[in-house]
Amino acid sequence: MNDSKNPVSPHLQIYRWHISSLLSITHRISGVINLLALILIFFWLLGLSFSESNYELFLLIINGFFGKFILIGFTWSMSFHILSGIRHLVWDLGYGFEIKTANISGIIVIICSLVLTIIFWLFARGFI
Amino acid sequence: MNETRKWILHRISGIILAPLYVWFYFSLISLSTKNYSEAIYFFKNPLFGILTIIVFFVGFFHAKISLNEIFEDYIHDEKIKNVVNLLALLLSIIIPLITIVLLLYKL
Repeated sequence: MNDSKNPVSPHLQIYRWHISSLLSITHRISGVINLLALILIFFWLLGLSFSESNYELFLLIINGFFGKFILIGFTWSMSFHILSGIRHLVWDLGYGFEIKTANISGIIVIICSLVLTIIFWLFARGFI
Repeated sequence: MNETRKWILHRISGIILAPLYVWFYFSLISLSTKNYSEAIYFFKNPLFGILTIIVFFVGFFHAKISLNEIFEDYIHDEKIKNVVNLLALLLSIIIPLITIVLLLYKL
């Protein structure tokens, strides 16, 4: 039997979207983004340890519009992944599986991740 | 490593990483407004240096298990899967090791 053409789970293009599936895939994507961020931070450390002259240029880029956009994106990805991770841990403990509860906790994760990102930036940049 | 142990270690590493990541990102964003010598000074602090090394080690460990899981779901060719899993393993060992060398000897 040749079933190699059949859709395999998790098949994103075919399933209807729910909060649960949206958060599930976003959890994965944000995890991969966090990994990319950590790899970039590694190269930043590498640059930091080898040359002082390029650091000014780096600061210029990172404080420009594009740099800030990326950094804020990384911050959101980090806070989303942590909050969503806590949601997963609660599931692992055996709570919160009811559809209504899972939907509400999903919405809480989305909203809190956005709020946390804003608060985080205001604090880290010294605005508060 | 059996799957149950993998599952448990994945959760434990995640719990360790959560507070460390908040601290790490907070520090890095604060550093992004400061100059070269202040960035160097930050990593010269023994406590911050050690925490950074832990972030890299535990972070890449956590990522390695996650990547295995993702590859398992999306890559159906056994050969390719083995190769990318090996690459993930190498990456998760080499990068944290280089980070130790950088923090201890270069900065």
